[in-house]
Order: sequence, then C-alpha cells, then structure tokens
Amino acid sequence: MSEPSIFFSEVNERQGAFHRRSFLLGGFAGAGLLALGGRLAHLQLLEAQRYEKLSASNQFNFRLVPPPRGLIVDRNGEVLATNRPNFRLLVVKDGEHEPGPTLKTLAHFVPLDEARQARLLREFERTPNRVPVSVMEDMTWEQFSAINIRAPELPNVTADMGEVRVYPHGGAFAHVIGYVAKVNREDLTETGPNSEPILLHPGFRIGRQGVERAFDLDLRGRTGARKVEVDARGREVRSDPGGDIPAVPGKTVELTLDVDIQKRALEVMDDESGAIVVMDCRSGDLLCMVSAPSFDANRFVRGLSVAEYRALADYERRPLLDKAMSGTYPPGSTFKMTTALAALGAGVNPDERINCPGGWRFGGRTWRCWRHSGHGPQNMHEAIKNSCDIYFYHVALRIGPDHIARAAKALGFGLAFDIGIPGQRTGVVGSTEWKRTRVKRDPKWHPGDSVSYGIGQGYITANGLQLAVMTARLANGRKQLNPRLIKSVGGVEMPPGDKAPNLPFSQEHLDYVRAAMVAVANDTRGTAFRQSQLGLGDVLMAGKTGTAQVRSFDGVADRDSRSVRWGLKDHNLYVAFAPIDKPRYAISVIIQHGGLGGATAAAPRAREVMRVALLKDPEIRARITQPLPLPDVSDLPPVGMAPDGSVLAPSPDGGDPV
Amino acid sequence: MTMSALRRPGERDRLVVKFTQIDWTMAFALCLLAGVGSLMMFSVAGSSWEPWAGQHLFRFGVCFVLMIALAMFDLRVWFALAYPIYGIGLALLLAVEFVGDTRMGATRWLDIGFMSFQPSEVMKVGIVLALARFYHGISADDARLSWWLLVPAAMIAAPVLLVAHQPDLGTAMLIAMTGAAVVVLAGLSWKVIGAAVISFAAAVPIMVLFVMHEYQRKRVMTFLNPENDPSGSGYHILQSKIALGSGGLFGKGYGLGSQSQLNFLPEKHTDFIFATLAEEFGFLGCALVLALFAALIFMAMRTASLAHSHFGRLAAAGVTATFTLYVLINGAMVMGLAPVVGVPMPLLSYGGTVMLTVMIGWGLVQSVRVHRYSEVTSGKGAFV
Repeated sequence: MSEPSIFFSEVNERQGAFHRRSFLLGGFAGAGLLALGGRLAHLQLLEAQRYEKLSASNQFNFRLVPPPRGLIVDRNGEVLATNRPNFRLLVVKDGEHEPGPTLKTLAHFVPLDEARQARLLREFERTPNRVPVSVMEDMTWEQFSAINIRAPELPNVTADMGEVRVYPHGGAFAHVIGYVAKVNREDLTETGPNSEPILLHPGFRIGRQGVERAFDLDLRGRTGARKVEVDARGREVRSDPGGDIPAVPGKTVELTLDVDIQKRALEVMDDESGAIVVMDCRSGDLLCMVSAPSFDANRFVRGLSVAEYRALADYERRPLLDKAMSGTYPPGSTFKMTTALAALGAGVNPDERINCPGGWRFGGRTWRCWRHSGHGPQNMHEAIKNSCDIYFYHVALRIGPDHIARAAKALGFGLAFDIGIPGQRTGVVGSTEWKRTRVKRDPKWHPGDSVSYGIGQGYITANGLQLAVMTARLANGRKQLNPRLIKSVGGVEMPPGDKAPNLPFSQEHLDYVRAAMVAVANDTRGTAFRQSQLGLGDVLMAGKTGTAQVRSFDGVADRDSRSVRWGLKDHNLYVAFAPIDKPRYAISVIIQHGGLGGATAAAPRAREVMRVALLKDPEIRARITQPLPLPDVSDLPPVGMAPDGSVLAPSPDGGDPV
Repeated sequence: MTMSALRRPGERDRLVVKFTQIDWTMAFALCLLAGVGSLMMFSVAGSSWEPWAGQHLFRFGVCFVLMIALAMFDLRVWFALAYPIYGIGLALLLAVEFVGDTRMGATRWLDIGFMSFQPSEVMKVGIVLALARFYHGISADDARLSWWLLVPAAMIAAPVLLVAHQPDLGTAMLIAMTGAAVVVLAGLSWKVIGAAVISFAAAVPIMVLFVMHEYQRKRVMTFLNPENDPSGSGYHILQSKIALGSGGLFGKGYGLGSQSQLNFLPEKHTDFIFATLAEEFGFLGCALVLALFAALIFMAMRTASLAHSHFGRLAAAGVTATFTLYVLINGAMVMGLAPVVGVPMPLLSYGGTVMLTVMIGWGLVQSVRVHRYSEVTSGKGAFV
C-alpha cells in the first residue's frame, strides 16, 4: 500500500464515498427518529384514551369492601347467625418484599410460631401478588394498635377491622344453618357469582353447609368498593370517598325454627346420638330440627385444626352427620300406622282378630313378637296400641308390598322435600318393582320380605324428617303437608307447606289409625302411656313407639342386654302429635342405638320437647290456663311428671314396650 | 475573527483560537438535554435535588469541562493514541474475563481499587478510533473490497465477542453496530453489505434459540408478547407504554405523572426516564427533545463531513453513530418497539459511566470540529 493521502484522486474518492454514505446513514438516523416520533404520536395521540384508562386503573384502585353477610333469624326474629367485628392482620406479597422476613418481624407483636409461619408461607405461594393474606384473626386491641403504630416500618402489612361470622347458639343449629369457611380454590369458577373478585378477599367467607350454603348468594349481599389512590406496591396514598360504592348487606333469611324448642331438643338429647324433628301439623313449618351430637360451627369459621377435625370425624356418634336428614334408619314399629292404612285401603277388616302366640313359624324360621309371651287375639286397634308384631306380619303378608309402598309414599317415606337446604337422603321404600330394578343379586320379592316390611324392618328406611312429616300428615288428617324450613328470604315469604293435595286415604281410616295412636299414649296399657303424659291438663299427646334392629337377633342374643356394645343396640324411635283433639305439633325422635323399646329413650324426650313447643303456643297456653272441666269419671290414674321432677329419665318401672 | 486571521501560520494552534472554534451551539444543545434529564429527575424524586437531579447536573458539569479539554487535543494526538486506546480496552476486556467482578450474573466490572468500571465503555470510543485510524491508512479500493478488510472485521469481532461473553448483549450489539457503521461509511462494497445483512437476518433466530442465555431469551419473548405476563417481565414494557400513552398531547403536568410518581414505572430515572418525560410533558415535550437529538446528530454529522482528514471524518461519524444508536435503541425500548436491553438514553438518563463515555465521544467530535482543517499526516499506512 502506498501513501494514500498523497494522491488527490484517492482522497477525493474516499471523501466522496464517505459523503454519499453519510447521507445514507444520516437518512437512516433521521428515519429512525421519525419512526420514534410516529410511534409517540400513535401512543400519545391516537391511543391516549386507552392508556389514560390503564394509567387511572393503575393509580386508582377500588378496594373491595365485603358487604355484611345477611342475618339468619328464627321464626320470632331471634338471631341465629350474625357478624361481629374482628381485628385482623393482613399481609400482601409483591415482587420486592418476601413475606418470610415480614412474618418473622410480625412474630414479635403477635403469636406466630414456626409451624404457623410455615403454613402461611405455603399459603403465600398459592396466592397471587397483591392479594392480601390473613395472617391473624381476632387480634386483641393491644395487638391491633401495636401493629398499627408500627405500620410505616412494616411494608405490605395492614391491620384492619373486618367482620366475622358468629353463631350465638353454638351447635344447636349447626346442621341446619351450616357454617361459612374460607374460599378454596375449588370454589372459584370462571363465570357466575363465584368468579367475582371479592372471593379472593381474605375476609370473605363462603357458605359451606345448610342454609349458609343454599342461600349463600342471598346472604352475600352486594360488594362495595372504596376508591383509593395507590402506588406501585399497592400501598394507599390517598382515598377518594366521593368515588366509593357502598356495600349492600346480604338479605336476612328467616327460618321456621324456634330457638327455644331447638335448644331444648339438643339439651334433652344429652349424650345420645340421634335426631329430633318438630313440625307444625297445620302449616308444615318445621319448629325444630336437631341432630345430636352437634358441633360448634364457630370453630369452623375460624378454621379447624387437623386434630380438631379428626376428633369430630372419627367420633363414632358422627357429630358431622345430620341425622335428621342424612341419617336413614329402619322406622320399626312407627311404620305400623302406614301398614295399617295400607291394609284398610286394601280391604282388611280392622275388627278381624289375629291371634298372637308370641311367635309364628313361617318360611323356615320363627318370627317373634316383641312380647315373647304373646298378645292373644288382636284387632287392628289393639295391635297398634300394643305394637303387636304378629298381627302386622300376617297383614303385610296378606296385602303384599305394593299396597304398603303406596301408603308409605303418600305419607312421605322415600321422598326428599323441598325445604331449601340440601342433604336429604331419601331412604328406601320397598316394592316388587323397586326390588326387581335395584336389588341385583336377589330381584324377586319374597313373602318373607313382606313380613318384616309390615313392622318397618327390611326394605324400608327413613330419616327423622320423613318420620315427622308422616306424623304431621296423619295428625293433620287430610293434607299431604310439606315441611317448610325457610320462612322468608329478604322479607319475601316462601310458599307455605299446607298448599298440598289431600291424602289418598279415607277420613274414616285416618281417624281409626289416629285413635289407635291416642291409645298408645293414653290407654294405660299402651306401650308409651307413662312416657307420654304431658301434664298439661286436657292437652294430650298421641304417639307410636318403635324399635329398629341393627342386627339380626334371631333368638340368639338377648336383645335387652344392657351389656350390648353401643353400636349394636337397637335404634329407639318415637313419633307423636299433640293435642289429640286439635293436633298442633308433630314430633319424631330417633335415638340411635338407644336400646330396646321406643318408650325408654325416645318417648320421654319427645314429651319434653313437645311440652316446650306447646307451652310456647299462645293458643295452647290459653287453653291450659282455663280451668279444667270437672272430671266425670276417674278411670285414669293421676297424670304428671316423675316424683323427682325429672321428665327425662325413663320411669323406673318402664317396661319393655316396642 | 476573520478567515484571514485564521490563515496566519500557527494561529489555529493557539488555545484561545481553538476555544472559539468549538461548536458552542452543539455544546448548548448538550447542556439543554442534560438539563431536561435533571429536570425529570427532580420531578420523580418528589421535587428534590436528592438523590439524582443534583448529582446528574454535577456530573454533567465535570464531563462538560472534560469535553472542552478533549476538544483542545490535536487530532494527531487522537490519531496517535487510537491503537493504544483500543489495545488497552481489549486488554481490560480480557482482564474482566479472568478477574472481573460478577454482579447479577454478569461479569462486566473491573475493580481498580478506588472505583470499579466497565471496560466495555472504553471500547465504545476505542473501536471508533481504531477503525478510523485503520481506514485512514488504506485506499478507497482496499476499503471497498480487499483482504485488508479482515483486519477491521477482527477489530470489531474481538471486543464484541468478549463483551457478549460477559454477558452484556446490549453493549456488544452497540459496539458491533458502531463498527459496522464506520466500515460502511469507509466505503465497504454494497455486495458485502448485502451479504452481511442477509446472513445476519438468517442468524438471528438461531442466536435466539441456541446461543442466548435464558434471561435474554425471556426478554425477547416478553418483548414479542408483553401482555402475556403483565406483572412479570412484561411489566416494564407495559408500564412504560402506559406512561407514554397516558401523557397525551400536553402531558399530565410537571410533577404530576402518576406512573412515575407512584413507582409504577420501573427504572424511572435511568433507562425509562424518557417515559417519565413523555408522561409529564406529553407529545409536545417528547417531540421537542427528539428534535434536539436530531439537531445534535445533524450537527455532528456535518462536523464529520467538514473534516479534512479521513480519520477525523470517520471518528466523528463513528461517535455520532454510537450516540444515534443509543437514542434509537432506548427510544424503541421505552416505546415498546424493542426488547428491554440495558441501554440508557444519553444525557437524559442518570448514570456516571454512560455520561462519561458519551461526553468523551462529544469531546472527540468537538476536537474534529476544532481541528477540521488539520491534515493528519503522521499515519503512513494502516498500522504505522
């Protein structure tokens, strides 16, 4: 290479090339800057409105305000579920601050042990950024103020006041009302009411069971919002009350239940397992629906520990099961009215006497009456009063299962009623058709099936609600009453239960069966005479006892043995209505594994609950306080409570009636 | 001062005369831009000189004096130091490779006791000087297409590869594009340029898929679809676009930009300061600033074309190319047209190293301007 700068042409050539190319690159630069300008114009002039909106949605945040959850009240306005203030501690996570150290700092002010911190950290992992997580609920005022004073040094921490659900009557309504609990990921849906952002609010609770679940949307109310200006971390800079949207509280749900009856019913259940249902025989309103043992729904609101949950779930008396609706039991002798109505409908003469020698050899086995010594010749009235099994074995065998099934369905067996809350199990009402389609391994209906069917065993099961409905329909004497649990929602009355068709039985037959029930409780030889005396003057109760076997005894074991393990004892049932002249209330009591004889465990409890119900009724009260008409004859022994005043304990000499 | 006075022998070498020959319009434009930067930093700090605005002005002042001082250096000095500066830069890059500080997964810093700095910054000026020095010594034909061109190719490739390995893809690209600009300006054959463009276009997808680091690939993917991940890595671009767009024609007013004031905008005082400006002063403010940049680039290119020496031309044009690339890349990034790469807006963004590099570059341009008539004769060939 020579010395290029010496040659003028060379220099010129290089300079020329440079100038041409510099124009080109300059052009590129200009074009680039123009492109930037064009892009700016596009963003800032054409799309400005769109970005202004986005900017405003960055700057202004609507902080969701959960509406107060609607109240649940009983028929008299007594509050069954309400809300109370709750100081809680919320922490949000963002990209900048890890929640771990924040929790460690907070542990100086509120009790947060290592295990709880670890649980919270897992929860933080599941939660999206900027969605607060509740670190602690129900702080004391001291803790609340300690956190609030230090708020400036604690980024992403807020202590605020929310509301928490509270059930003032503890477990009395746990199964009916259910409870609310934190929202699970499974609760969230893409669309519909469960897609709303309020569900992510840490204070939000969703109805889990019973009324809380069935009327969740009514109880929720409408979410409000507070307009605030926030910075990128989501911290509030200013608030703008003018832009607030007020929250609309949830609707009030009024139940037909009566708090006094309900609470007394749970009390009388004591340690027993079972259900008590009280129903108005005229309107169909349910005044009491108790399942025992119960649980404290308030604990579910706070969130159960695993140990607590296991304790409830593993207890053999199953507190979490609603025995009034979801537990189905053989109705036992309480089914005999149904068999009787079916027999009357099928043309059986009620005056026909069937001899009860205490046992009956049929189909290769001996069918026993509960009274091994036998009742002697029985007509239908006596058979119900004495709860004679032999009579009903014969009648059931004669009329067959389909008559019985028709009568059972008319009285409410095998049905789920529209009472507004989910969870009813219908039980079984056996018939030839049913067995043919449902029992795969033995589809043929055998005569022996009819025999046990007649006394409410075998292919017949019912829940407590169905038994109460049956009793109320019998007591009402005309209508196929439907039960009603929800009286009104947000002030709108729900349809009453007495808008129903008539029962498909003749008045004569119904009167006959009811008279037999009166005899059960008021004839001195009735199976539940002693346990059915209300002590309310001429306000008398009619009923029917029942025992349901949980295992086949077949004459092997002693049914009456008190040494039998709890889980193998018979279920003890009683259905009743009162007063006998103008029936007002019907009751069904199931004592799971209560032992032999409906009168021992179930009837005294039914009597006490019935007394409470009757004494609350102004009509009945007026009747009781009036002077009694002069007694004309004294063929009845004195009526009243046990000498020690206890109404619960079975009478000491209470026999063994079924 | 008249032209005749300047023709007196030795007159041009007098310091006072050199001082008057500085392009003061250009210097004023630089001051204006730095002032705008400081103004925005004052705003985003909540009307406070602390911690950025005052420091920015101070740094600019120091660098401005440095620029004037550098402008006094004769082009021959620049010429003589061209290869040594490039060599030192390369040596420092090699040193970084072996003993550099690793911060945030990238080895870019060299600790020299009282301060640490990025040798890649030295290279931004070094590559321009070395290439200008090289092309000064070869003929137009050789510059068009010859085996000599392997030398500039190697000169560019060495620092680019070293910087890319740190990894600092943004700076590597900047150096590569600056070098390419000088090579093109020096008169590279169009056929070669065409071939290079085509092979580059073909290489990009391969680079993205196989050579890039995971975080780099993520940035590219985020750029292609920022709404996909609005609170993660797409956050920067989205928030920046919101800031720009919501500014509208007139802006939200000084100190009233909600995006920057409430910290929605990331890096609001450094890489994304242009978005802050756009939010508070709107399209009009941005257009004015872009016009100021355009004017600066135009003045610098004019300075380059007025230079008598090929070295001066190429050096000034190379610096201009670097500066232009800074502006275009940062602008495109802020406006959501390019992936988020750590390229600041020169003069506006807060940051000492960049300010120093940029002002040294402008010192070189001013030096070319002051010594535009000087013939650099000491170079007799490409290397000697």
